[in-house]
Amino acid sequence: MANISIRNVSKSYGALNVLRPFSLEIENGEFVVLVGPSGCGKSTMLKILAGLEPATEGQIFIGDREVTDLAPGDRDIAMVFQNYALYPHLTVRQNIGFGLKMRGTDKAEIDRRVDDAARILEVTPYLDRKPKDLSGGQRQRVALGRAIVRQPQAFLMDEPLSNLDAKLRVHMRAEIGALHKRIGVTTVYVTHDQVEAMTMADRVVIMQGGIIQQIAAPDELFNNPANLFVAGFIGSPGMNFLNAELRGGKLTAFGQEISLLRATSHQGPVVVGLRPEHLTLGDGPVTFGVRPTLIESLGSEKYVYFDAEGARIADGEESKSKGLIARVSHTGSLPKDEEIRLGFDPAQLYLFDAKTGERL
Amino acid sequence: MRRTFAQSLALYATVIFTLVMILFPVYWLIVTALSTTNELYRLPPTFWPTEPQWDIFARVWAAKPILMWLWNSMLAAVGSVALSMLVSVSAGYALSRYSMRGGATMGLFVLTAKMLPATLLVIPLFSIFSSFGLIGSLWTLVLAHSTMIIPFATWMLKGYFDTIPKELEQAAMVDGCSPLGAMVRVVLPIATPGLAATALYAFVLSWADYAYARTFLVNSPDNWTANLGITTMQGEYVTYWNDISAASVFVALPIIAIYLFLERYLVGGLTAGAEK
Repeated sequence: MANISIRNVSKSYGALNVLRPFSLEIENGEFVVLVGPSGCGKSTMLKILAGLEPATEGQIFIGDREVTDLAPGDRDIAMVFQNYALYPHLTVRQNIGFGLKMRGTDKAEIDRRVDDAARILEVTPYLDRKPKDLSGGQRQRVALGRAIVRQPQAFLMDEPLSNLDAKLRVHMRAEIGALHKRIGVTTVYVTHDQVEAMTMADRVVIMQGGIIQQIAAPDELFNNPANLFVAGFIGSPGMNFLNAELRGGKLTAFGQEISLLRATSHQGPVVVGLRPEHLTLGDGPVTFGVRPTLIESLGSEKYVYFDAEGARIADGEESKSKGLIARVSHTGSLPKDEEIRLGFDPAQLYLFDAKTGERL
Repeated sequence: MRRTFAQSLALYATVIFTLVMILFPVYWLIVTALSTTNELYRLPPTFWPTEPQWDIFARVWAAKPILMWLWNSMLAAVGSVALSMLVSVSAGYALSRYSMRGGATMGLFVLTAKMLPATLLVIPLFSIFSSFGLIGSLWTLVLAHSTMIIPFATWMLKGYFDTIPKELEQAAMVDGCSPLGAMVRVVLPIATPGLAATALYAFVLSWADYAYARTFLVNSPDNWTANLGITTMQGEYVTYWNDISAASVFVALPIIAIYLFLERYLVGGLTAGAEK
């Protein structure tokens, strides 16, 4: 186990910068998740960390050792790939033991450690099978087994759950979390799924366009997003955004003037963020009437979609067609095609600079 | 979905027609070998000899140095397959895995070499081989056949390597292999069907050659390959087609044997289970 220090690592292909100078200190035993949309540079960063791609600039330390120019096999890390990358011509036992064999570990020791890893991951009955005879979940466990058997300084995981079906994904998520608690190895985990990031991480690194947007613990990201991108990326359903004017501490939104409770010197156009779960049915400190365009019931709660003046759609065709969302606890039925009243507390509004997208 | 009677009829008719097209020449070769010379020229032809001369195989085997010819063919084929595979595996792997300046153009350039007819290369190859004093040696065939095989085999193998996920080598490298180690320990074992198919193709290409053997070896009877040897059985005034057919059966047997041996490696789907 070791800490990892990434210092000003960048990557470019000719004129194309896929990764802007990236610095991150990862504590010994920490579980850090790199998350962001496709093409944000998270997998590139992981490959650089693994030594599968050279960095254009910067340095990487694992423990006290600089590994920037070392081959992947000399970095004492283990990696789990999105598509498992099990060796199809070898049995499960040989797959798990491959790394030890490459390092010249003696046969008896390999057998002992493979058996241990297999027991932890519950793949002992399949040790003599080939990967093609395993289910998706079993293959994923074997891939994890190949990583833990080496007892490396760090685990690198590249979207390891994205090939599994939804139910198995939740299950394996919990298993990986439990495994991390049990063996406590420093882990860097890459995903595009914010739920994985929020549920598994000690700290989350949110990336977009090769740039780190924010590094924080999951709750901190949710409660104090640094900018529009982070605010829109974390949370499901995503945060509602409205264009509004800020003048003398007052906002104009939802057809009314709203007094902000906190002082801000900012004047002019802003983007207002409001989480769907901060909207309630009925009156609140600020109340407005809407005509829902769609109501989705999830049993214990409902998603009420509505339009509002200045509504700003961050991304996604789906949200574009549905407008703003209120996530309300309500088990009864809501009247269709009738105006309903929604309320919120202005203290729960997020304000962002309309130009830079930075939090105000 | 169940087939209708008409569909079944069409299906079986197609299969039978294809089989007849493929197998009739083989059948006719055997019929020709077993027929007496008189029967061969009889009209209408007989579809099975009235008195099959089974001893023809032994007679031809005793009369001609068929074993030596086969041995020479085998040396040339094994040599050219070995040399070609060594070059093509490395080249195909490099084209598949590494991006390099002009790599794609180089790949296409390799392929254009395959588009040139073999006869076009006969004269330059002859002049090269004679300046190295190789004319008459089986090495000429190993080298000449490799010029035919390498371009095609390189592309065939590149195509096969392209189907093997890069993550397998990356996993092997993280596990401690060098890039070459990852290729040898992980990629090549998985590529066995592709390697077997390519090697078989290369072997047949070399085995079937006549033009190069005729040009480079004609004055060295001890190095004649089977195809070249058989053509010398054609007489100036009379040709015993039954003898030639019997000898041809001997030439076909090794190919069949090699196919049967390699068949088990030709099954696809070896990468099944590597990924989701």
